[in-house]
Amino acid sequence: MSSDAALRADALGKRFGRRENWALRDCSFRLPTGRVCAVVGPNGAGKSTLLALAAGLTAPTEGSVTVLGTTPAAARPRVGFVAQDKPLYPQLTVAETLRMGADLNPEHWDAAVAEEVVAGGDLNPKARIRSLSGGQRTRVALALAVGKRPELLLLDEPMADLDPLARHELMGTLMAQAAQYGTTIVMSSHVVAELEDSCDHLLLVGGGRIRLAGEIDELLAAHLRVAGAADATGLGAHTVVESKVTGRQLTALIRPAGPLSGEWRAFAPSLDELILAHLRNPGAPALPERSAA
Amino acid sequence: MTAVLTGTPVPRAAGKPRLTRWVLRLHRPALYAWAGLLVALTALLLGLRGPLADAAAEGWRQYNSCTGTARCSYDQDAIVRYKDYYNYATVALNALPMLVAGWAGAALVGRELESGTALLAWTQGTSPARWLAVRLAVPAIAVAAGAALLSWLHHLAWSAGRGRIDTAKDWYDRFTFYAGGPTAVVLALAGLAAGVLAGLVLRRTLPALLVGMTVTAALRGVTEIALPHLWPAVTRVSTTDQVPLGAGLGVDEGVITRSGARTPVPACHTEAQCRAAYADITGRWSTYHPYSHHWPLQLTTSALVLAVAALLALGSFLALRHSTGAPRTTEKATA
Amino acid sequence: MVEYRIDRHSGVATYVQIVQQTKQALRLGLLQPGDRLPTAREVVEATAINPNTVLKAYRELEREGLVEARRGLGTFVRRSLGTAPADSPLRTELEAWAERARAAGLERDDVAALFTAVLDTHFQGDPS
Repeated sequence: MSSDAALRADALGKRFGRRENWALRDCSFRLPTGRVCAVVGPNGAGKSTLLALAAGLTAPTEGSVTVLGTTPAAARPRVGFVAQDKPLYPQLTVAETLRMGADLNPEHWDAAVAEEVVAGGDLNPKARIRSLSGGQRTRVALALAVGKRPELLLLDEPMADLDPLARHELMGTLMAQAAQYGTTIVMSSHVVAELEDSCDHLLLVGGGRIRLAGEIDELLAAHLRVAGAADATGLGAHTVVESKVTGRQLTALIRPAGPLSGEWRAFAPSLDELILAHLRNPGAPALPERSAA
Repeated sequence: MTAVLTGTPVPRAAGKPRLTRWVLRLHRPALYAWAGLLVALTALLLGLRGPLADAAAEGWRQYNSCTGTARCSYDQDAIVRYKDYYNYATVALNALPMLVAGWAGAALVGRELESGTALLAWTQGTSPARWLAVRLAVPAIAVAAGAALLSWLHHLAWSAGRGRIDTAKDWYDRFTFYAGGPTAVVLALAGLAAGVLAGLVLRRTLPALLVGMTVTAALRGVTEIALPHLWPAVTRVSTTDQVPLGAGLGVDEGVITRSGARTPVPACHTEAQCRAAYADITGRWSTYHPYSHHWPLQLTTSALVLAVAALLALGSFLALRHSTGAPRTTEKATA
Repeated sequence: MVEYRIDRHSGVATYVQIVQQTKQALRLGLLQPGDRLPTAREVVEATAINPNTVLKAYRELEREGLVEARRGLGTFVRRSLGTAPADSPLRTELEAWAERARAAGLERDDVAALFTAVLDTHFQGDPS
């Protein structure tokens, strides 16, 4: 077992209820420490379940998840978590919420960074949580998670409620944490664009399974977008993720297994294209990480 | 655990997360309500023990000294007032376990799981098990202390009326019994545990409130059924022409035949039937608990309810562990 | 000190943008030997890009011998680039040319296209 994995799943599965209602299944991947990982997928794909499993807030039905080299429960003091609906105690004020963070994390509370996150939102410290807007609540929830100075930060749709300005600023704060302390960050989103510049690792979740996992650069390098005549041949040797014929032209996203014949024009795909092609074609073979286990 | 409620920043002894303070802060309204209820009931019970009992006793003295003359003047209002206030206080103490169960199920645990704030708490520097332990222990101390005070005062108030007020309740009146002793305290604690378990299992505010209260009411019902059997009862025998003996908590009674056998009271509807039925009967028997069994019964009931409360609390920890998947050996890092 | 501006719609990889902008600053004399580049933390806090992207760009600059990372201290400029600091005669000439182009009625895009075409002719094959 490699000790430098911040997060590692082995055949992880979670079923809700007794029936065949799998939120996540057969999930194996490894996320090295210090990465900023985007968990991308459509709504209901299993992103939240995956994060809750990693945070030790729910127990897996099968398989295992290893967090910072140990069980999620044992790693919990070193993990920060922000749930999708940003739960906070509505009766507390902003200042009280931060003081609670300090009291409940006495070993490593970074009051300065927590206050900085809150201050950026021009929040009145005396305001009650119940009076805040969605974006302001997100800010307080992030302050609590970042103030804990975790080694692994799990964020479920952290940017959904934020305006573009706040999104940029808070993403900057998160990246600064990653740069300064080597914090591993895992954040989910169904909007790829908001994570593209900030993340270097991707977990693409679709239909409760991992569709793609790995370094974004490597994933992009492993795929080609090709175009050629509709009757051209020679794609058979490669893994075709998606292909489409428009008139006389055939375009495809492939995982080349070797050199491409000359009748094809090849382009580097964008991350968006890569993700959409995989989500549109759940039948295409998944690309598990090469460096897994 | 540090039970400080001051808001001033104290130089922190590193290590221990201060959960207690935040349980108290988050449930401050409930704490105030509990304190208010304690003050009101304390005043009422002290009144019942003192002036109200004295006035009612005086009323009864006046009434009993009336010798069948047409005009008899006695303080009926004082008698009725004592009876009403006694009933209010007794009902309040009987309702307390249900009240605690509803609050624990809804506000203490159910709402936290429904809104997700429990997840927030569990991902701070404390384990879910510690979170639960503090959520059980802190209210348990507050509930036990308050309920102990009230039930002691209730017993004093009841004692003050005993033998002086003709309409005073007997010790085995079930509402009086469950208000004036340690059973009141342990039932409230069992209510707390039942509410917490309901909240953890159901994860919703309203269902947890209802189920917590129902379970507590059911537990109370079971203890009432079991009560007569929780201490060896006394049997007294009397002849047919004597008034049946045994003023107390009845367990069973019957008749004694000429051959000495003990049988149930025979059923008869007409005089002829009854004469025939009783022809063979020489006496009565009665199994019951006299007043001297009051405290033994209080203590055995309390022990029983306390055991159930402990099981409910254990169940809460198991339910929590089942849902969060925390293995047995996770407590070392933060505890 | 340079401040990086990331244009996510340019189609140029983010780390390449940082490399280019650093070189630009070196050419313009905004960065000089001995100057410290902003730390990865400073860059990512302002731009919200991934820290590894900044480190990748700095490694690239280091590989080209332009900067040098000193452990615990930061990344420092080793040598400047080009011969056209902000006040060089070449710049003066170019500014005069740009003024003439504008007077001749050329739009910004026309000038850029013209300039790029001339660059392509004279610097064919050079790395950017």
